Amino acid sequence: MAISKYEDINSFGLDVLKEIGSIGTGNAATALSKVLSKKIEMTLPQVKILDFNKAIYELGGPETIVAGVLVQLYGEINGMMLYLQKLDFINIILESLMGKRIDDYMDLDEIERSALIEVSNIIISSYVNAISSLTGITINLSVPCVCVNMLGGIMNAPIAEYGYETDKLMTIGGAFSCEGKELYSNLILMPEIDSLNFLMEKLGVSCE
Amino acid sequence: MFHVNKAYTVGIADMKICRAPGVLITYALGSCVGICIYDPVLKLAGLIHIMLPNIYKNQNDSNILKYADTGIPEMIRKMEAFGAARRRLTAKIAGGAKMFEVSGGNSSLNNIGARNVESVRQVLRKEHIPILKEDVGSNYARTLSFDASTGDAIVKSFGKGEIKL
Repeated sequence: MAISKYEDINSFGLDVLKEIGSIGTGNAATALSKVLSKKIEMTLPQVKILDFNKAIYELGGPETIVAGVLVQLYGEINGMMLYLQKLDFINIILESLMGKRIDDYMDLDEIERSALIEVSNIIISSYVNAISSLTGITINLSVPCVCVNMLGGIMNAPIAEYGYETDKLMTIGGAFSCEGKELYSNLILMPEIDSLNFLMEKLGVSCE
Repeated sequence: MFHVNKAYTVGIADMKICRAPGVLITYALGSCVGICIYDPVLKLAGLIHIMLPNIYKNQNDSNILKYADTGIPEMIRKMEAFGAARRRLTAKIAGGAKMFEVSGGNSSLNNIGARNVESVRQVLRKEHIPILKEDVGSNYARTLSFDASTGDAIVKSFGKGEIKL
């Protein structure tokens, strides 16, 4: 009972995905909190199925400058994870790890970028690990890469990758806040449709 | 400079055509390519934002504006319906960047921008429309606006300022 479009998924399937997002984000928040030695909270994870243009506006608008760290998932499940963060959150990472702040995205040098990638990698890996141990599915991760630029351009990556299969994006994810401050930091999982079917089958859920 | 209230926004896999004094704008082209086509006599401007090179894998996809090889001819056809003459048409293109340097994984991400640009060039050559100017490749996103009164295209990118095509 496979689906061929994201929007065909039923409400039970969506609930299962929300739960997966919740477990993933929860683990990621714990990991982040340990790395930064700060209290990290997460918002209730959401599953969204939006067309490309809407997805970009939902995440902050096409011309918003963000740092995006991208990891590809492959193996039994194919998909992408993106961790999007703005300057305020980058500064929290840099302050706890390196004791410094930056005023502009342009000031990010090689070492700071690599600190950013490292922290994002830990967050993404704990998210994926949680899903992997929950479902017993093997998921491989690519080496993470970072891009500091307009959000619209960054989102071209999943859009071009899935464009042949779909006109919409499915995003499963949540945002973090640090010590009560609302910050821009979004962790999103974007599964391929076939992988979504595989995941549901593995969990014994009929998504149609 | 442009007046925001006159600019029509072109989304991803979207196309718009306007006459002077209209301005068309498309935001944050990453690996996507924006193609401006202009008829200077009518001051008729068309802008399309494509995201993939060819439709071949997907013959029955109804969303033909997603692909360079189906979207561009469709825009030319529409412009001709508005009175544009093929021999007067010229093009300017921007986008086709490589946003992420991916290693490992089974990704087509590394060359999708270049493949888009290549396909756009091919299609325009086949349609006999010369590319006057272009700003493609590299690793940053571009916002492209196109002024129907002058045929000028302006590319704005993060940290790089504006350039006129």
